[in-house]
Amino acid sequence: MSAGTPGPAGPGRVTPGPVAKGSGTTTARRLSRRALLLPVGVVCILIAILPVLTGNQYYQNMVIISLVIAVGAVGLNIITGFAGYPSLAQGAFLGVGAYTAAIGSVKIGGSPFYWMVLAGIVAGFMAFLLGLLSLRTRGFSFAIITVSFLLLTRIIVQNWRGLTNGSDGITLPLPYWDRAYMNWPFHFALVALLILSLLLAWRIRRTKFGVGLIAMREDEDKAGAVGVNSPTYKLVGFVCSAVFVGMAGAVYGYYLTFVDPIGMLGLLFSVQIILAVLLGGKGTIWGPVLGAFIIEPLNEVANNQLGGGNIRLVIFGGGLVLVVLLLPQGIIPTLRKKITLYQERKHPGLTGARIELCERPMPAVRPELSPVNILEVRDLNKRFGGLQAVNGCSFGVPEGSITGLIGPNGSGKTTVFNIITGMMKADSGEVYLDGKRIDGLSPWNRAHLGLARTFQITRLFGEMTVLENLVAPLRDFSVGQLNRTAMTGAEAAKAEELLALVGMTAYRDRPCSALSYGQRKLVELAQVLALEPRVILLDEPAGGINPTLIERLGELIVELNGSGKTFLIVEHNMPFVMGLCNPIRVLARGATICEGSPEHVQQDQCVLEAYLGGDYAVEPKGEAVA
Amino acid sequence: MFVQTLILGILVGGVYALLASGLTVIFGVMRIINIAQGAFIIMGGFITYTAWKRLGLDPLIVVVISMIAMYVIGWAIYFVAVRPVRRAPVTTSVLLTFGLAFFLEGVMGFIWGNNSVTVRPSYVDTSLHLGQFYLPQNLLYGFILAIVIMAALQLIFTRTWLGRSIRAAASSEDAARLVGVKISAVAAVTFALGAASAGAGGAIVSLMGPFVPGSQILWITRLLSIVVLGGLGSVPGAVIAALILGVGEALMSTYVSPLWSPALSIFLIFFILAVRPQGILGTKLREDVAQ
Repeated sequence: MSAGTPGPAGPGRVTPGPVAKGSGTTTARRLSRRALLLPVGVVCILIAILPVLTGNQYYQNMVIISLVIAVGAVGLNIITGFAGYPSLAQGAFLGVGAYTAAIGSVKIGGSPFYWMVLAGIVAGFMAFLLGLLSLRTRGFSFAIITVSFLLLTRIIVQNWRGLTNGSDGITLPLPYWDRAYMNWPFHFALVALLILSLLLAWRIRRTKFGVGLIAMREDEDKAGAVGVNSPTYKLVGFVCSAVFVGMAGAVYGYYLTFVDPIGMLGLLFSVQIILAVLLGGKGTIWGPVLGAFIIEPLNEVANNQLGGGNIRLVIFGGGLVLVVLLLPQGIIPTLRKKITLYQERKHPGLTGARIELCERPMPAVRPELSPVNILEVRDLNKRFGGLQAVNGCSFGVPEGSITGLIGPNGSGKTTVFNIITGMMKADSGEVYLDGKRIDGLSPWNRAHLGLARTFQITRLFGEMTVLENLVAPLRDFSVGQLNRTAMTGAEAAKAEELLALVGMTAYRDRPCSALSYGQRKLVELAQVLALEPRVILLDEPAGGINPTLIERLGELIVELNGSGKTFLIVEHNMPFVMGLCNPIRVLARGATICEGSPEHVQQDQCVLEAYLGGDYAVEPKGEAVA
Repeated sequence: MFVQTLILGILVGGVYALLASGLTVIFGVMRIINIAQGAFIIMGGFITYTAWKRLGLDPLIVVVISMIAMYVIGWAIYFVAVRPVRRAPVTTSVLLTFGLAFFLEGVMGFIWGNNSVTVRPSYVDTSLHLGQFYLPQNLLYGFILAIVIMAALQLIFTRTWLGRSIRAAASSEDAARLVGVKISAVAAVTFALGAASAGAGGAIVSLMGPFVPGSQILWITRLLSIVVLGGLGSVPGAVIAALILGVGEALMSTYVSPLWSPALSIFLIFFILAVRPQGILGTKLREDVAQ
């Protein structure tokens, strides 16, 4: 993103708001982090060099398997923790990696370590395929498709005997190195893989890619509407989550010197990986590792002291149930929250703080209506089952105008919005933006072209702060974008400017889920402005907010309009619409029944009929209009 | 040969229909995919096995016991584990019931062991002959029983106050609550009825071949493919899809290989979720932007 982009607010330099109160907390958190750093670091280093310290096979084995689960969990965390997709297929990538190394080293030759790279590639490719298959699925259908994928992998491995030797499994060559160093290569290879996966996760968390994934977790449709190319993000996320797991699988198979469908593609392994992520804390960097190092010792106890088999199913199945019920956030986020609460107990919250209004000169004259339509819909039709929601709807939005779209409830306004922004596909009809036909484009491509919208009930990324919400929108897509820093100084500065514009500076570091309804409306407006759109669609901007805010909103819209933005506004608050919009389009039963200036629309017989019914006696006009 | 395969497929499909309707009804009312439904079925099978082995009762009579037992177990599981996550995101309930499935598999392993068991009353290996075709008696009785139980469930749904409140809750929970339906009770009954239908299905399944606690995963895959194909939440869709899968699996076993017949349901899942996520009879309604 280029640094010196001028803010959308042409007129009205804004006085910067007071510094947010969150900074004190951040320092405190840093301090507590520093205090933790030493003991945690020491433990990590001790584990990393364990085979040098002890020759005890039991502990070495436990740490090796913990590392395998940890690599799996850190990978899974990318797709499940960041992007919110609950994949049950993680075990499949481990198995695929192990089989790749086994088949390669037995049928072709060479150490399984050489085959590790191919194992990573094959696992990544499988993840890509699964990603393609599951592009249209979310939530439970995604979970279903991933568990099916795992089972299918197992069935294929069991039945493709020529390649995999079926249920008999494959015995790998024995390690060739000195017995004194028996486990060292496995251990250090896995430590290296874990470090690489952690670096990857850490990097992702700090890039546009990571922010996009988290935005998708919070609200995927909304992410699309602010320009996040979600299918690509999802595919890349999937591949990232699988590559190192595939490589770890190769090491694990070599370590066991035997791979078979039950050992390598067991469902319980996937359960353990998920449990590690949930237990440690999904969405955190270290949580999955912590989880893995809790799960595996439990596994050993279950196997050696409790007889294995069914008890493992009971422990890990039951463990998953308990974690979901009792510790849904996981260990690390829960502790973090406790610490924050403890440190914040003396600081008053921001609840009830005032939204600052800043004085700005208003543009004096409303620009003349342009003859050119920047946005135009032609003959839109949309049917939901038996309901014709939109029925041959056509209208234009003149460039530089504030166009109002009104109509009785159920007249199809929001559906038209959804069709214009691409969140819904029309059965037929065309949408043009600046003369270019856009109805075949995805929501994010439309956003990139300069089309932005807000929602009737605001949709923000609740777990992100206000500032993060403002830098989440993307104005284009490129592969390089994925690796760009999540928030550059210039972006942050621009976001601050937008926040000041809507008067929400004091809330910069609050999570959006903590904002009130009206505040969210303002933040959402600032968020879509970050897209630097040419056309802004507002869905009931004045709905449910107090009169002062409504006035403020009206001023803002006029001001932004003065700086060249075109608006299309759906609204039921008639004084607001009549005072602000010109021209107005009236929708009833899915079609445009009247178009023109507010005065014209108010007198139109069809409009009165649509709103009030045919037998309503028409009052002299004027009083109700602001 | 082909017609014979078709007949067997339809008989099996009828049983699948009963099993899948429980899963799809639970989804319809609670928006929860109960991954543990496969474990419920196997548990019903083991209860039937015990009653047949110890008491010498015919599995077709044990259906009643198995249903009642699973109703009670389902009710208890609902209150302990499912109720707290009813309002949580789907991800949460999927993970929870996924864990539950393995937990129950382990518990069954403790109680009944991990060796495969079969329920073999006298008629298991005999068939009725209709011209040149044969109808294996166990499948035939299972099919008839499944139809009877589904008809009974259908009567509950359409003719009783309970059924009306379940359907009301399925179409809009908030509206149902507003008109005085006690949603928590309805959800509990639905979940327990779903478990009971799995109990009945399990009794029938126990007649169809050997099973182990681990068979739950095979069954849940089948059921998922059926409800996904039929459209989540749609009972008629599930019935049609169950018949399609039953016939498909029979054809696959006969003409390709029995080894690959479990893969059929998985391919179905992939295909449908990738191409038409709403299934055969599921309509894609306006996913309101204002959720």
